[in-house]
Amino acid sequence: MKKDTSHIRNFSIVAHIDHGKSTISDRILELTHTVEERDLESQMLDSMDIERERGITIKSNAVRVAYDADDGKTYQFNLIDTPGHVDFTYEVSRSLAACEGAVLVVDATQGVEAQTVSNALLAMNADLDIVPAINKIDLPSAEPDRVREEIEEDLAIPADDAVCVSGKTGEGIHDLLESIVYLVSPPEGDAEAPLKALILDSYFDEYRGVVATVRVFDGAISKGTRLQMMATGDVFLCDGVGCKRPLETPLPELGVGEVGYVVTGLKDPALVHVGDTLTTPDNPCDEALPGYHEAKPMVFAGVFPVDNKEYENLRDALEKLKVNDPSLTWAPETSVALGFGFRVGFLGLLHMEVVKERLEREFALDLIATSPSVDYHVFTTAGEMLDIKSPQDLPRPEQIDRIEEPYLNAKVIVPPEYMGAVMQLAIEHRGITKDMVYLTEKSVEMHFDIPLAELILDFFDQLKSRTKGYASLDYEFSDYRPSDLVKLDILLAGEEVDALSFIVHKDKAYTLARGLCDKLKEIIPRQQFEVPIQGAIGNKIISRSTVRAVRKDVLAKCYGGDISRKRKLLEKQKEGKKRMKQIGTVDVPQEAFLAVLKVDDDA
Amino acid sequence: MASFSADEKLWLERLHQPSAQALYLHLPFCARKCAYCDFSSWATKPEDPLMGDYVDALRRHLFEAEAVGLLSCCETIYVGGGTPSFVGTPLAQLVCHARAMAPHATEVSCEANPDSLTNDLLGRLRDAGCTRLSVGVQSLSDAELTELGRIHSAAQARARLSAAVKAGFDVSADLMCAIPLQTDESWRASLEGVIGCGVGHVSVYPLQIEDGTPLGERYGASEPAFNDPEVQAHRMELARDLLASAGFGRYEVASYAREGKDCRHNQAYWTARPYLGLGTGASSMLTREGYESLRKVCPQLPEPDVGARRVRLTCIDRRHELAAARSMADLHFDLEFLSEAQAAAEDLMLGMRLVYGVEPGLVDHARRVLAESEVDETLAWCEAQGLVARKGLRWVPTDRGWLLGNILYGRMWDLAD
Repeated sequence: MKKDTSHIRNFSIVAHIDHGKSTISDRILELTHTVEERDLESQMLDSMDIERERGITIKSNAVRVAYDADDGKTYQFNLIDTPGHVDFTYEVSRSLAACEGAVLVVDATQGVEAQTVSNALLAMNADLDIVPAINKIDLPSAEPDRVREEIEEDLAIPADDAVCVSGKTGEGIHDLLESIVYLVSPPEGDAEAPLKALILDSYFDEYRGVVATVRVFDGAISKGTRLQMMATGDVFLCDGVGCKRPLETPLPELGVGEVGYVVTGLKDPALVHVGDTLTTPDNPCDEALPGYHEAKPMVFAGVFPVDNKEYENLRDALEKLKVNDPSLTWAPETSVALGFGFRVGFLGLLHMEVVKERLEREFALDLIATSPSVDYHVFTTAGEMLDIKSPQDLPRPEQIDRIEEPYLNAKVIVPPEYMGAVMQLAIEHRGITKDMVYLTEKSVEMHFDIPLAELILDFFDQLKSRTKGYASLDYEFSDYRPSDLVKLDILLAGEEVDALSFIVHKDKAYTLARGLCDKLKEIIPRQQFEVPIQGAIGNKIISRSTVRAVRKDVLAKCYGGDISRKRKLLEKQKEGKKRMKQIGTVDVPQEAFLAVLKVDDDA
Repeated sequence: MASFSADEKLWLERLHQPSAQALYLHLPFCARKCAYCDFSSWATKPEDPLMGDYVDALRRHLFEAEAVGLLSCCETIYVGGGTPSFVGTPLAQLVCHARAMAPHATEVSCEANPDSLTNDLLGRLRDAGCTRLSVGVQSLSDAELTELGRIHSAAQARARLSAAVKAGFDVSADLMCAIPLQTDESWRASLEGVIGCGVGHVSVYPLQIEDGTPLGERYGASEPAFNDPEVQAHRMELARDLLASAGFGRYEVASYAREGKDCRHNQAYWTARPYLGLGTGASSMLTREGYESLRKVCPQLPEPDVGARRVRLTCIDRRHELAAARSMADLHFDLEFLSEAQAAAEDLMLGMRLVYGVEPGLVDHARRVLAESEVDETLAWCEAQGLVARKGLRWVPTDRGWLLGNILYGRMWDLAD
């Protein structure tokens, strides 16, 4: 018997960053009375602190809402939120595989942007029914007709029926929900067939173990069902199912076509792989669902605990984070300066910042991250090729035949008046302009070949500032190309600090070394003794600066014998110092290890 | 049974002394709050009846402290504020009463400001048995005084210092460096000016810009040039040299005196001598034995922790509550118990504020109650860093140790961990 799924709609909302995806989600929750207005925290679906603070979505999240449609029927909507930053394309694709439809949100004032295009393509490639929505029509500068044209011309998506909405006022949200009912197909699937369900997200719960968010394609799951993960073969007993509304609500069963959570009871996060297929060991399905494209980390940085005793905790924390961030990879790394830690692979710089912040907040760790590096291919004179992800692993110059570095195809969409600025920026970052296409009168798409190593420094920030925020950026890996690269070492008080070393193009080494020495001088507080800072290539010193010695550091006041107060001041001072890393005789603040990201180009 | 060195035996007597050796009385009243002040003080009118009530309360508390023997070995009395001289006649009465309660006290100091140190008050204080006046001068430049929010002129300060000296008091002048508008020349002029008035003691403090004060609001995060650590260090050194050539020796990080004019009360704070502080915001340090005595009149205080050797208390009652307190049983305190080891680390930290330094008895004691190797290593580290030097059997701070006091004190206190 085929179970009726005609009332179910599984969809995502995709958009360029800041086009208002999260506010539209909020309005949907409100209009369907999933959340009462008074309880509605802004951006309900973005539950991580970091997400709310930064106003971006990092993790996907699935919420079920009940919608009473104009046709008199009640529909089950599963709203699967997706991240909107270029670093997180992988998460977007994972979420989309669980959907039949996608609401494509476009800002009525800004129109189609780089990620609108890339997300729309992802959704079309996943064969989703697309519901275009033009947001922010409450703004005086809204141009819905122009945007409608852009959607049709740039994306080849029919936009006559595009819904005009305002996430801010709630206008048009009802029409959007009706469009979802009519435009998005209900899921297909066989309730009687062997279980086939996709794990699209998971997180670790101290009490219940790993909780997985799943989409059921065939069959059903209920509490007590014996489940098997097809990739690993591991079997476990389902400890409960339910859905989020947006708080967790237990259900008797997750039926065919539905999205919800499964309590696995598994205590080891490493056992659950996002992208894996769930089935039953007694009556398994024939084949697993097509896997995801594994997200490949592009940026690598050392992550070290400030206190070396936290090494084991850091490893546990990484393992727990990996449960719902499968793109994380790491390998042990040892630094003379920083002790034991890990070289962690990230999707991009934002991902790196987010992971570091999550590790520090959710696991109460004090961490140092070192300058990000890319994966270099080093060809030795002996004819070997080495994968070098950390400057300290670079062989000695005489052993190197050549070094190749990863290049990207970068795509920037920008108003024509900023083309010159973008080209200049690309040149400064060793980029090669390939071609330019006018998308519309007001937007040009520019293509570059650019080394990834340049992009991960300050390219994105610079791009935003030089185009007054108008430019959008998207990129994908292209190939490896030989470059004239050198290792820049930094010496503090005459001692080389391996964790500050950096691989850089020879032409830029001098400027960067000077900038870095100046920046470190600002960051490193005055110490008891003068601290010379030197930049060196091999044995050659190419830049220097000096942190002057502190002359006076004393609290002379006696507060009428209130020694407790005095001691507390000393202890506070010590706390501040604890957050620094002692390298040789020098106390170095954590941010010093990322100083290279803060060096101004024009310095 | 390990035997104690003779030096340590003397030190141990101090750690077990049941009476306070110094008495501090706090009068939190001022004519006006200065722009830099974050002390426990409030501006009020000269006729405010609260001042009389407050002094009466302190007199009651003194009776109680005396009754339980806390004042029997008291050698010094110090009335601080606020501006004690602003309180006027009740101040003299308080001094007289305190002397009666602590009859062995031979050094009796009062803080005073030039604007309220009248000839009449000088006479009354003299009669009450006050021996020493610590006058808040801060600067002898009228422009600088205005910046600090002081209400007296430089001329007034000179006149009152001279009058106090003439009246036979040991007089100290407080001066402040690294303040707005100050130059090296004006700083020298202030120092020379107070010396010229015949004072025997000078205290020198770099201005500290504190949150919640008008100066803090004005300059807060801006790190003004006049208060730069370099300027502070330079002015502290200027003061050291100028005072030395005028015959003033430094005995504590901020205090200079002619021969025999050291403030013994001030030194009690740094040398493990127990002291009793009465009044709002006043701090006490008592031995476990002293604390047990105090509990007889303050039954609200908890039993000391097991292993507590020293107790630090600060009275947290506001001035109205304090004035209304019938007895010490009505008071409230923040308190902190220190173990023998913590007390030893603290004493090392405090000793490093003194020119005399850390005495052999304390070093012996610290090596016994703290990890011996850590004490030796810490001292060796500080010596290697040029912060301390050995002088006979004592450890004394170097010039560098004076200026980098926080590093030195911090290392000593770390020994408590």
